[in-house]
Amino acid sequence: MRKRWLGGLLYGAWITLGALYPPASMAGTTPIPAAAAPATTSSPAGPPPTIKIDKTSLDNGGTIVVSGKAPAGKPVFIEIWGDKLVRASHFDAKPDKTTGKRPYVLYMTSEMPAYYKLFVPVSDQDKLSQAKASGKKWNLDSLLKEVGAAGIYSTPGKIKIDRYQATLMGSIVGSRGQMLPAMAEQENRRRSMELVKVRFRSPDKVLGAEVKVSPDGAYRAEIKIRKGIAPGKYTVVAAVDGNTRSQAASFENHIGFPLIYLPNAGTSINLFWPFLLTLAISIFGVLMGAGGGFIMNPLFVSLWPLPHAVVAGTVMPTVLFSQGSGIYNYSKIKFISWKLGVTIGLAMVVGGFIGPKLTELITLDQFKFVFGWILLVLSGLMFWQTTPGYLAKNKKEQAILKEFKQKAEANAKAKGN
Amino acid sequence: MTVNFWGHEFKVNVVLGCLGGFLIAVVSSMFGFGGGPFMVPLMTVGLGLPMYVVVGSSLLAIFFNTMMGTARHYQFGNFDLTFFLIMFPAAILGGFIAPQIAKRVSPLTVKRIAVVGLALLALNLLGVY
Repeated sequence: MRKRWLGGLLYGAWITLGALYPPASMAGTTPIPAAAAPATTSSPAGPPPTIKIDKTSLDNGGTIVVSGKAPAGKPVFIEIWGDKLVRASHFDAKPDKTTGKRPYVLYMTSEMPAYYKLFVPVSDQDKLSQAKASGKKWNLDSLLKEVGAAGIYSTPGKIKIDRYQATLMGSIVGSRGQMLPAMAEQENRRRSMELVKVRFRSPDKVLGAEVKVSPDGAYRAEIKIRKGIAPGKYTVVAAVDGNTRSQAASFENHIGFPLIYLPNAGTSINLFWPFLLTLAISIFGVLMGAGGGFIMNPLFVSLWPLPHAVVAGTVMPTVLFSQGSGIYNYSKIKFISWKLGVTIGLAMVVGGFIGPKLTELITLDQFKFVFGWILLVLSGLMFWQTTPGYLAKNKKEQAILKEFKQKAEANAKAKGN
Repeated sequence: MTVNFWGHEFKVNVVLGCLGGFLIAVVSSMFGFGGGPFMVPLMTVGLGLPMYVVVGSSLLAIFFNTMMGTARHYQFGNFDLTFFLIMFPAAILGGFIAPQIAKRVSPLTVKRIAVVGLALLALNLLGVY
């Protein structure tokens, strides 16, 4: 019985893998020709830069050399973005500088590129290092202005962003709030920068100082595309200012087993690591009598660039099965007070309705902060359970529990026969 | 409310139980964990029920929360199927392996390790180190 069931599980896993990795012949045999980009020519900056890339295909990241010729004496910037899109949201509850009123507006997009990076001339390395050193307070808007790339930042600036006016009542009944009219282009751009920060977290994921420009305008950049990014088509464009852009070059990033792309998280990850981690934590969780979710959630958001809402929303259902089978086993021997369980359960249903709404209103840092305190409390609870007084009481309780359970089992058996 | 369990009657403070359950459900569904280690103390210490009443019934109460939380996270697009398909078999496999190990280690040792491990993880999340 159990063997057949395990076989089904393995079969299911095999089917899943087959669906996730299409036959190699289907993927990436045709190099995608550089798409004709709308290169604006009539500009005082002179002709747009030319662009050449040395590869059209990467295998889970790698180094790609971008070179070309730009008008002499101009800084050259290179923008790279992927075609896979993910969701990002940002809740603005900071008091307004002039009025002091908190806006409580939720900004949300489903068009954030899973990968976006802007490369600036190597001479700007200091400014990037400074931003990196300033920790979590970095601001993309001012950083772009500092390196003179404010006009270059283009692709994420055009994503569609929905705005919702959140209210306390709305959050309680679980609504995102009233949808506000679309923003003007400039405001959309500014808000998109906040979402880029939410998505990529650290300035060195968004900006890199890699472009070497010669006095005659020839430029060259050896760009390291990091591991673990989305598969798919990537577009590369060189620009000297907002209106003078090169044609688009493109390359394809491939990933293969055991790497796997998580479409909702926008990250590729070696599937063995989360599998082994989940296995280890769930074993430890059962042993200590607490679910694994406590440890899994904070570890997953810390170890991988996964959005905290996706981690919370995906870890939660993994315990449904074990909880369900536990309830089934207890109910078989009539070891559940349905009256008590359902009464408190109904209160918990209301709580479970509200909670997931709040996940998207908090930032990753707030998520970690609150989780830190939850774990401290839990650690305190566990410590209390190791104190001699508790142990003595628990020993008695466990003995009674065992006695009752045996009685219940015997009873169930007697009825079965 | 009076609960009858195997011939014993228990008086239960419904207001405290429901309020506590509600708060635990909000936090646990917000952060994506089960809530068992908080429900059990609530029902034993807060409601004064013996362990043998609590083990099954707390699981039932939490199950309500997990189902609702899962549905709501799914509704808000927080569910990643691929990620789930990696974790789910591991969680089930863990459920089969754990009882085998449980026979060999003392629960007290496991709890002591958990105290230290959880505290370290907590301090890390709070940015202490």
